[in-house]
Amino acid sequence: MSERPDNGDSGSAGAVAVEPVIETEVPPLELVGVHAAYGGIEVLHGIDLAVAAGEVVALLGANGAGKSTTVKVGASLLRPTAGSVRVAGHDVTGAASHDLARIGVCTIPEGRGVFPNLSVRENLWMATQVTGGLAALEEAAYARFPRLGDRRTQLAGTLSGGEQQMLALSRALVTDPAVLLLDELSMGLAPIVVQQLYEIVAQVAGEGISILVVEQFAQAVLGIADRAAIMVTGEIRRVGTPAEMQSELSSAYLGG
Amino acid sequence: MNDRIERLKSDAAELNVGKGAGRDGLYQSVGAVAMGAGVVLAFVAYQLSLGKDDTRDIQSLQILAVAMLALAVVGAAVFLRYSLARFLRFWLLRQLYEGQSHIDQVVAALGERGTAGDAAGRTTGREVAGTSDELV
Repeated sequence: MSERPDNGDSGSAGAVAVEPVIETEVPPLELVGVHAAYGGIEVLHGIDLAVAAGEVVALLGANGAGKSTTVKVGASLLRPTAGSVRVAGHDVTGAASHDLARIGVCTIPEGRGVFPNLSVRENLWMATQVTGGLAALEEAAYARFPRLGDRRTQLAGTLSGGEQQMLALSRALVTDPAVLLLDELSMGLAPIVVQQLYEIVAQVAGEGISILVVEQFAQAVLGIADRAAIMVTGEIRRVGTPAEMQSELSSAYLGG
Repeated sequence: MNDRIERLKSDAAELNVGKGAGRDGLYQSVGAVAMGAGVVLAFVAYQLSLGKDDTRDIQSLQILAVAMLALAVVGAAVFLRYSLARFLRFWLLRQLYEGQSHIDQVVAALGERGTAGDAAGRTTGREVAGTSDELV
């Protein structure tokens, strides 16, 4: 895991940039001056964000701050109106989202996104597009999530919320991603399940995968994040270590 | 992991940004144009053949008409292929969404039923206890 920066003085008024922790390395994912809009309404006003290899960056903020939109831009599900998205230093703005997924930028969307009418193992197969080595792939997934192994033939729609999120996570991980974008992993889950999931996310980051987590349930993700950024109305207002962000959360959520 | 980052760099460098985007729409348009032009030109060629006296001219124009019909069929196939791809993607997303919301509804209904059952059980228990106290 990389060294955490001293970002204590980054709280000046207005938008700030989230620079990568490891300055010398080209960050696997970088958003540069990103503006994005839905129709004529601009919701992101110049986001600068970089996630280094093996780093967990938590993007926090209240409803409507633009967190999920930032993930959509990063995953190329939404084309920015200005600015660029860079993957490993290459400008991939406007690339097809499936192409980004293929090269290793993997997104777990809000609301799990598993195939409810397919079994656990079929969901894993759907993610891989490979014809051989499925047994090894499944075993790797079940080694990380033993509970999924017990339910391998069960329909994904009948799993609990936590198990569905585990399936979504393992489905992303079997594709051997370099970057993971997690949107509201904790949505609708019990705190203890959220804690378990974030422990796994921390393990995944330890394997060198860059992770951008969008989360409203800030306390859960701050425990594992290397850095956190607070978004307010389409801008990143504060960047710092999780400890520094603790005191800023109430003002960010309550509009202070 | 360095290997993974190196692979990411090379894959990102090879990504054809912009070239693939909107390709479906382009092929869909090409298919529609080919389909329309094929039908119109086939009809025109056939009509022209009716005004010819020489059998060789008639045959040439009718061959052209058949070729244009083939173009229309190919155009229709291309149009359908790329229209359906887009449609099927949305259909799949909708299926996922509806399937999930249906399951959520069932789970919520079962939860409510369970809660109502527990409450009823407790009430009955209290009533029974009350009755037994009164009896005692």
